[in-house]
Amino acid sequence: MSDVVSLEEVSETSVFGSKAVGLGRAVRDGLPVPPGIALSGPVVEDVATGHENAIEQVVAAARPLGGPLAVRSSAVDEDGADASFAGQHLTLLNVPSADDLSSALREIWWSANSDSAITYRKRVGLFNRPSVAVVVQVLLDPDVAGVMFTRNPITGADERMIEASWGLGEAVVAGLVIPDSYRVDTEGRVIERRPGLKRIAIRADATGGTREEDVAPHLAECLCLDDPQLAELNGLAERCEQVYGPARDIEWAIADDKLYLLQCRAVTRAGP
Amino acid sequence: MPGAPVEALRRVPLFADLSESELQQIALLFKERHFAPGETVVKEGADGAAFFLVDSGQATVSVGGVQRTSLRAGDHFGEIALIDEGARSATITATSEMVCYGLTFWEFRPLVVENGEIGWKLLQSLTKKLRSAELG
Repeated sequence: MSDVVSLEEVSETSVFGSKAVGLGRAVRDGLPVPPGIALSGPVVEDVATGHENAIEQVVAAARPLGGPLAVRSSAVDEDGADASFAGQHLTLLNVPSADDLSSALREIWWSANSDSAITYRKRVGLFNRPSVAVVVQVLLDPDVAGVMFTRNPITGADERMIEASWGLGEAVVAGLVIPDSYRVDTEGRVIERRPGLKRIAIRADATGGTREEDVAPHLAECLCLDDPQLAELNGLAERCEQVYGPARDIEWAIADDKLYLLQCRAVTRAGP
Repeated sequence: MPGAPVEALRRVPLFADLSESELQQIALLFKERHFAPGETVVKEGADGAAFFLVDSGQATVSVGGVQRTSLRAGDHFGEIALIDEGARSATITATSEMVCYGLTFWEFRPLVVENGEIGWKLLQSLTKKLRSAELG
């Protein structure tokens, strides 16, 4: 198997990590995933070491994606499973182009080999050499983004719990805003909607990376999703449960009026 | 060129007695890493993941919040935690843009085990640090 493949071709968790494999499966099942490629752990290591062949291979594969790019780690442990490395391994948003991938991959490789990552690995009983695969995707410029549980993780109720805010979803994931929260039934009917307080939005910066942007005061407390968008999110939840199974934790974004799936994983918090 | 430049390794006393071909072999094991001014490079008390050579830039070395020394091009750090698999013994903070070449535990140990010259130089370097610590 090649070390650099399109997302559609990814199938080996032990080579590409479960994030990449999950996205590959989503693409094959017709879910709306931003275009991208997956890089194996060994090729990421070769690029980080500076091997010219590996750099050329990766840059050539990423060039058709254009830019800017979102570069996310997809960690692999010795069993091929993706342990929860949340907060340990780096995600780099707004890497300007394929030509900038080499230094981005080096940074991501070091994030998996940093003191804090090694301390964490020892704490969870992983004493082997880390391998970090990577997903490179077109970076969206979303109007709204957020997270969704396909069922209520607290009560176990069969309803969608959605959190949303303006701009990139990192504002929600990193807890930088009080997001809007919504409960939607499995028919797409809104059970509850509560506006949050979204004073900032994370946006791609023209010079690379991201920046915090002030949200206009009239938008900060205004709901950022309407009923048709919530119905569409319910449809995405339904499709994800069909593909991956029940109780999913989804990251999504809406850009140019189109809903995208960014990540889909099993809910780790169990209901009663 | 992959790895660290051989010239960068040659400047490091630890590798001073190695042959050109040995240096070339070892250089391939290193990976470049950049640190921004003010960035914590290693933190006292954390588990150690890598050994570093400073290629350019400066950093301070502090123990218990007290600055002990500084680092510049040609210096190396991080070997103690890799040898005893214990915690980092000092905090190192970049004071300028700093470029280092790093070698993770998984490459560092076989390198030292298989190369007596490097092992001996490492002992000398550690002994020097020990004497300096004893003198306070």
